[in-house]
Amino acid sequence: MENQWLQAALWMGLALGATLLSLRIAISIALLEIMVGVLGGSFLPLHRTEWVNFLAGFGSILLTFLAGAEVDPVVLKKRFKESMTIGIFSFLAPFLGTMAYAYYVAGWGLAQAQIAGISLSTTSVAVVYAVMIETGYNQTELGKLILAACFITDLGTVLALGILFANYDWYMVLFIVVTAIVLFLLPRFTPWFFEKAGSRISEPETKFIFFLLFGLGGLSLFAKSEAVLPAYLVGMVLAPFFLENKTLSHRMRVTAFTMLTPFYFIKAGSLVKVSAIWSCAYLIAIFLLIKMVTKFIGVWPSTKFFGFAKKEDMYTTLLMSTGLTFGTISALFGLTNKIINQEQYTILVTAVILSAVVPTIIAQKWFQPELKKENKDV
Amino acid sequence: MFKKILIANDGSTSAKNALKVAIDLAKKYNAELHSISVEEGLPHYAATIGEVEEFKHEANNYFRKVNEEAIEMAKKEEVELHVKVLPGHEVETIVNYTREGKFDLLVIGFMGHSKIFGRVWGSSSYNITKLAPCTVIVVK
Repeated sequence: MENQWLQAALWMGLALGATLLSLRIAISIALLEIMVGVLGGSFLPLHRTEWVNFLAGFGSILLTFLAGAEVDPVVLKKRFKESMTIGIFSFLAPFLGTMAYAYYVAGWGLAQAQIAGISLSTTSVAVVYAVMIETGYNQTELGKLILAACFITDLGTVLALGILFANYDWYMVLFIVVTAIVLFLLPRFTPWFFEKAGSRISEPETKFIFFLLFGLGGLSLFAKSEAVLPAYLVGMVLAPFFLENKTLSHRMRVTAFTMLTPFYFIKAGSLVKVSAIWSCAYLIAIFLLIKMVTKFIGVWPSTKFFGFAKKEDMYTTLLMSTGLTFGTISALFGLTNKIINQEQYTILVTAVILSAVVPTIIAQKWFQPELKKENKDV
Repeated sequence: MFKKILIANDGSTSAKNALKVAIDLAKKYNAELHSISVEEGLPHYAATIGEVEEFKHEANNYFRKVNEEAIEMAKKEEVELHVKVLPGHEVETIVNYTREGKFDLLVIGFMGHSKIFGRVWGSSSYNITKLAPCTVIVVK
């Protein structure tokens, strides 16, 4: 289909369908956009044009920024030791375990195995958060600690993605120096700029953030790094302002969910090769199992060390085995940069999607700890 | 006869009818009146915390308005209404809350949440009536 407006209508029609279905069945828009993307990519003339790739790429950068901006620094500081330990092991164990399996057993190349390791090392903060809101755990110390640990795990994933495949040359030095300066100045400059520019319909605040994300993303490309790395770091640095400024975060979410992330998730789904899901089902199951087992190896002992109560240890371990956004971003990075092929991409993305669902169901069904009633209010 | 009454309020027309009956009964029996509203549809397996928060924010605003109206209705009849909003599955949450709160009467509307799926899987009012640990009045 050459007609760009009809092509846009097709993409937006799929996004609209996913949104309406999401409202009906209470499954996240992202997951359903991936699903409709799978259908669209297989059965509809869905083209991944230049402008679609741009919007999808922008969507993944903005998603990463928003994920960084959701970090609660107070919680992170309060339980720093526990959240760091659990978060780091939650990243390292599945990263190394999956990479080892992909390299030594499945016979993937080193770079391909690294992409597998990164994709399945993630923990989905949002999946965990939704479970906690429903059970009331977000109000408890345990819940806050788990969320803080999830952010650390994601930071590990983003760092690995930004570092492992980069070129270590002068461009990298330039990228590191500029990013460091920007991150240092942002907490001072941002409040001043927001106050001067004010909240207006022309959105100077949002434009300022987009400017930063594009600028640092561009520099990261020179160094063959990944634009999501500075996006997550900028998000983390600006998190206190976003937690205070609800209007700005609402507007940015609206921008992201309306115009950008649908293109990202539908594109991520459209690249899934349906035939590979069936032919590689055993490998998908093995990767999912490895993710869960290695998360257990990494997280469970830490929870025991910090004296988590019975059931709380398994509940934490299982929730930290979930993954979605960063898993798909990492797999898509691998495919876009021709590190992995479409079949490997399909295996990884399917395993990632299953990891959003399977551990959550097990955790809620069999390992949900007792919760004090006073914590259960909305 | 009834000392502690619970009304399930999702803001629908039938829930409003149920509220009128519950207020009337609370006044007649000089009973405590409570209401429970369930935030259904929290997106599972979300991509960002924002998606969950935005849903919750909208739901909170909706139920705040619903409960303000309900409190005003009860106040006109000189009845104090204690409101509660909880997230979760409608039937499970209402039944558990009724059990935990030791209510002796539950008043619900005939149609409310999940009315389309209700035709396939059995309506919420039917399931609540079946599972509730106390007397249930279904108001049409």
